[in-house]
Amino acid sequence: MCTKGIHVVFFVSSCFRGPVMIMEPLLTKYVREPNCFTLDFYLKHEGYEGLKKALALTPDQVVEMVKASGLRGRGGAGFPTGMKWQFVDKRSPNPRYIACNADESEPGTFKDHLLMERNPHLLIEGCAIACHAIGARVAYVYIRGEFFHVQRVLERAIDEAYRAGFLGRNVFGSGFDCDVYIHRGAGAYEAGEETALLESLEGKRAQPRNKPPFPAVIGLYNCPTAVNNVETLANVPLILRNGAEWFAALGPEKNGGPKLFCISGHVKRPGVYEASMTMTLRELIEGCAGGVREGRTLKAVIPGGSSVPMLMPDQLDAQASFDGVQKAGSLLGSAGLIVLDDTACMVWLAENLLHFYRHESCGKCTPCREGTDWLHKILRRIERGEGHMRDLDLLSSISGSIGGKTLCAFGDAAITPVLTTLKHFRHEYEAHIREGRCTLPASWRARHAAGAR
Amino acid sequence: MIAAPVAGAAPTLSVEVNGAPDTLPAGATILDALRAAGVHLPTLCHDERLTPIGVCRLCLVRVQGWARAVPACSTPLLDGMRIETNARDLEDARRTALTLLARRYPADGVERDPHKEFHRAILEHGLERELLQASAPGPIDRSHPYIAVDMSRCIDCYRCVRICDEVQGQFVWHVRDRGLDTQIVPDGPSLFESSCVGCGACVDTCPTGALDDAARSRLGAASAWTNTTCPYCGVGCEMSVGARDGRIVAVKPVLDAPVNKGHLCVKGRYAFEFVGADDRVLDPMIRTGGQWRCTSWDEALTFAAARLGDLVARHGPDSVGVLGSARATNEENYLAQKFARVVLGTNNVDCCARVCHAPSAAALKHSLGTGLGTNSFDDIEIARTILVCGANPTENHPVVGARIKQAVRRGAALIVVDPRRIELASLATCHLAVRPGTNVPLLNAMAHAILAKDLVDRRFLEARVDGVETFARSVEAWTPERAAVVCGVDAELIRRAARLYATRAPAMSIHGLGLTEHVQGTDGVTLLINLALLTGNIGKPGTGINPLRGQNNVQGAAHMGCEPNTLPGAASPKDGRAVFEQAWKREIPSTHGLHLLHMMDAALDGRFNALWTIGYDVLLTNANASETVRAMRALDLVIVQDLFLTETAREVGSVFFPACSSLEKDGTFMNAERRIQRVRQVVRPLGQSRPDWRIICDLARAMGHGELFDFREPEAIWNEVRALCEGARGMSYARLDRGGLQWPCPSEDHPGTSILHRDSFAAGPRAVLHGVAYQPSRESTGPEYPFVLNTGRSLYQFNAGTMTGRTPNNALRPSDLLDMCPDDADRLGLSEGDTARVISRYGSAVLPVRLNAGVQPGQLFATFHTPSIFLNSTTGSHRDGATGTPEYKVAAVRVERTA
Repeated sequence: MCTKGIHVVFFVSSCFRGPVMIMEPLLTKYVREPNCFTLDFYLKHEGYEGLKKALALTPDQVVEMVKASGLRGRGGAGFPTGMKWQFVDKRSPNPRYIACNADESEPGTFKDHLLMERNPHLLIEGCAIACHAIGARVAYVYIRGEFFHVQRVLERAIDEAYRAGFLGRNVFGSGFDCDVYIHRGAGAYEAGEETALLESLEGKRAQPRNKPPFPAVIGLYNCPTAVNNVETLANVPLILRNGAEWFAALGPEKNGGPKLFCISGHVKRPGVYEASMTMTLRELIEGCAGGVREGRTLKAVIPGGSSVPMLMPDQLDAQASFDGVQKAGSLLGSAGLIVLDDTACMVWLAENLLHFYRHESCGKCTPCREGTDWLHKILRRIERGEGHMRDLDLLSSISGSIGGKTLCAFGDAAITPVLTTLKHFRHEYEAHIREGRCTLPASWRARHAAGAR
Repeated sequence: MIAAPVAGAAPTLSVEVNGAPDTLPAGATILDALRAAGVHLPTLCHDERLTPIGVCRLCLVRVQGWARAVPACSTPLLDGMRIETNARDLEDARRTALTLLARRYPADGVERDPHKEFHRAILEHGLERELLQASAPGPIDRSHPYIAVDMSRCIDCYRCVRICDEVQGQFVWHVRDRGLDTQIVPDGPSLFESSCVGCGACVDTCPTGALDDAARSRLGAASAWTNTTCPYCGVGCEMSVGARDGRIVAVKPVLDAPVNKGHLCVKGRYAFEFVGADDRVLDPMIRTGGQWRCTSWDEALTFAAARLGDLVARHGPDSVGVLGSARATNEENYLAQKFARVVLGTNNVDCCARVCHAPSAAALKHSLGTGLGTNSFDDIEIARTILVCGANPTENHPVVGARIKQAVRRGAALIVVDPRRIELASLATCHLAVRPGTNVPLLNAMAHAILAKDLVDRRFLEARVDGVETFARSVEAWTPERAAVVCGVDAELIRRAARLYATRAPAMSIHGLGLTEHVQGTDGVTLLINLALLTGNIGKPGTGINPLRGQNNVQGAAHMGCEPNTLPGAASPKDGRAVFEQAWKREIPSTHGLHLLHMMDAALDGRFNALWTIGYDVLLTNANASETVRAMRALDLVIVQDLFLTETAREVGSVFFPACSSLEKDGTFMNAERRIQRVRQVVRPLGQSRPDWRIICDLARAMGHGELFDFREPEAIWNEVRALCEGARGMSYARLDRGGLQWPCPSEDHPGTSILHRDSFAAGPRAVLHGVAYQPSRESTGPEYPFVLNTGRSLYQFNAGTMTGRTPNNALRPSDLLDMCPDDADRLGLSEGDTARVISRYGSAVLPVRLNAGVQPGQLFATFHTPSIFLNSTTGSHRDGATGTPEYKVAAVRVERTA
């Protein structure tokens, strides 16, 4: 079973089966305790100690501490959190805001869901510390539209925090005021893009803004804003409680702290695993998630949610850190590892993902709106066995006209499944075109979900 | 809207475009640099009037050292940028994006209309073959009389949505669904049933023709375009008028126009078909035995000249009078008054300013020394507080209304004084829903509140204002509590408004006929001026007293001397007499002269015998119509000069001179902010119709005074005005052809005057505060006449409806309506659409009822656009004490259901 410092959470309904633990988990240690989400439970386990410590420090000291901790954004880009806070415009006469990105929508990603459902006070404490650090008085938690039950847990926790004086006026008698509001999205992948999230928070359509200006200068309601992922903010109280050096030492250089990995696909034990980023991808997949099913061989892994390039089985000894995965030719992204065994048709996979991206394109800019549709139509044609060899060049050239040419990173994400499957599995495309059908055994083929069209 | 570039010595940016060095001013975008370098890229989502959003991705460029390609339109230019536009992958991406759009775009649209921006881009890139050869699915909406919607041609540039939000502030176009399924839809079941106000901005910006002028299919495309000034309200929008075969077929806004900045309203943009209306009178006519008959110009002129000459000979020059026209040019109004003074020998000359803003001019002249609005529309964007008093700009001055709405969106505080909850009231920080006729106590109470809290501008008062103590005593008794009882406005709200106006500087005051058309009209304006003086809100950017003039050239008509006691350039007879007598070689009559209302009184007394009314339907628009009819019937001669057989002509006309519209002649107009702008001939005068200036010269010649009216073109008339009026001296046609100039502009190198009274007042270094005692309206309500009727205008019709009533605007507002609050309607058993008779002490009118919760209980509001309804049958005979302006805004009435 598990080897090094790994904490496993099986994501099967609300039932968690016990894993073997060697390293002390930090974010998800108590998620299987029945009352782990209550304030009483949280207070018995160092709850709000980080906030208390933060309020004894100046905002700049908190920012310095987070910088020193090596905490990097867990939403996907891996940008150093302390630096992001430092960029928040202090000269602006306008109020400043924390916007917590809880729109977790990346395919294969389900870690923030767990944190908010089972450890909501950790996030609330993180929000309050972040507010103090950037001089904000308000944090908005922008929660994914589908997370209705999670929202209720979070709301209850926020109420508890207000009643106990951890939120509201004059927290800990320090003069610090802090309000946390939840804003529920209406169900759009694009709302997870930070500027689209801000637009949606303002009551507009979830469509991205041009950058620059960046949210740190002109963000929510044109005020300086830091947009941070749930897991990022959840790490902040740990840094305050235990110190930056302790936190940094938990992972490899510049990849401090614990990390949640979401492992899904063709593995024996899919779930959320808390581990150090010193682990390799292979250790996570084979050690933690139990590897692929009996009799199957591993075909490819998408290591960071659906928007990053695939890694082949021989690339899995890369360190599961932001820098390690990048060195291997992909991105850690949201740390959603999608594992594919030999039953997966790569043309089908690309078609399936492009169906998703076509459906989720916000429609604001031309190449993405029109291009994802065209890509999807071509892929569907090939997948049905009606494609031509020239379609493969067309896929490349359209992708080339989308990549780096769209308003936000969505376009780059959308073309990745096309380019990565074409790069590694061009023969499967050619076989579809040549044979007029998928060459994998019919019984292996995934069926389209009834509601997906 | 795009802000004007910052003046002064801005630093320059040194950049390189495709290897060629260039310098541009700070604040430029990459697109500006490309244009300066002559690099053309398609910019389908870009419009200078809008905040750039960079979504069509066709103007993508690469900046050396930057990771991602960026759109030129939305990226600020930085010093040292090295910009590349022609890299292979950029060209490919551009072509791919256009191809992607072409794939679902119907080919026939491109063929029909190759000049549209998107079509040009398709043709330039040789992508015609990629176009969809079938018809594309997409909602088609033909419900609106002016705007045709065919969303199969939409390319999702969002320009319509953005211009509706950012320029008009109407938020009609909504975006539904997302991605490729994105649909642009109006906020109603159809565009006609939406909140659209028909300004046409979306049509103007649409790069494809998904939104198009509905008239195009009927009238065809324009073959020539001429820039001129809008013939409707006093905002003075500059527009480009398209003609084809001697007929006007389209109107577009002028992008760099100082007033409208690329915007227009439904009237200016679309209501132009009155010019060629079927019932336009195209021949001179004489009425004999009750019947009109067409005749020649010679006969009509000879007839009129003989009759006028005869009456002057028999009854003296003061038995005849001339009415100049707010629809006519400055040149023509100058000639009209010159005709009265020189040919007829009387000061009996007036214009329709008498029935609208004469009180503004009188009060401004009395308090500040010049009877003109003090500031400019550009101050709307500077003001931090805007006080709108008795004006409904979003309907009656829509382009200014839109600018106010945008200012409020950007954070300006708005105070609205209006009995009705007009559109601006719903956006206002404070809405003072004053009872009609009680402006004076309300404004006195605001002054009281300002003085009580010492919110005055001490330094300004010390330096420039006298009479503070006396004025303070005059408002001492007008506590907000006392005013609250009289005006029906909460005392705290009065205090709040006063505090806002006094403390959130600069504060700008904009007013309309809701302030002037009262028995205390002039007094009301005086009090508004007092507020500005007390708080130092005058003579500075973003401040001032700004009357919104109702008609395109009502300001000019009065300013050119069409008032009994005013000579051209608003000179008083005392000061100006010598100059004009020398130039005209005639003595200017020393009698005071009659204004319009006095002419009516004199006619009833048998002392007034003939009236020449130019572009003015007196009968339909004067208050208390039955009295006006009696007065006009008493006249021996009524010469009507107009486009149409007006009610005046129909009832009492003796001779009819067919004039032509401002779209058929040259000249100048003067707008509400004193801007003189060129009027240019778009089409030749229809039939035998002539420009007013020619008709006046012709009649003068027929009466033996041709030598003083020997003008070949309007420019010559204007040059005479310039020679005689110092304020116009610098405004040659050559200069005006490059853009309007604001009066006064005394020399060719003078830039014109955007703000009056900067350092001292026209009358002297110090202004005086004038106290005003309240006189209640004599229109008392009681059991017999329980309602107060307030009359005014609406968006889709213009004043007496002479012009808009002959256009498809009728589909947007078919009739005058009686607005009534639902509770009152309920009590009277009236529902929406029922017909009711409004009965006053003076007469009655029958019109449909509309339930309107914005009207207060006990009050009614109705428009006067429909001749057949003739609302002025119900308005009364009371007048402003100083100027004679009728009390259109208060009439005691009762309402009866008609069978």
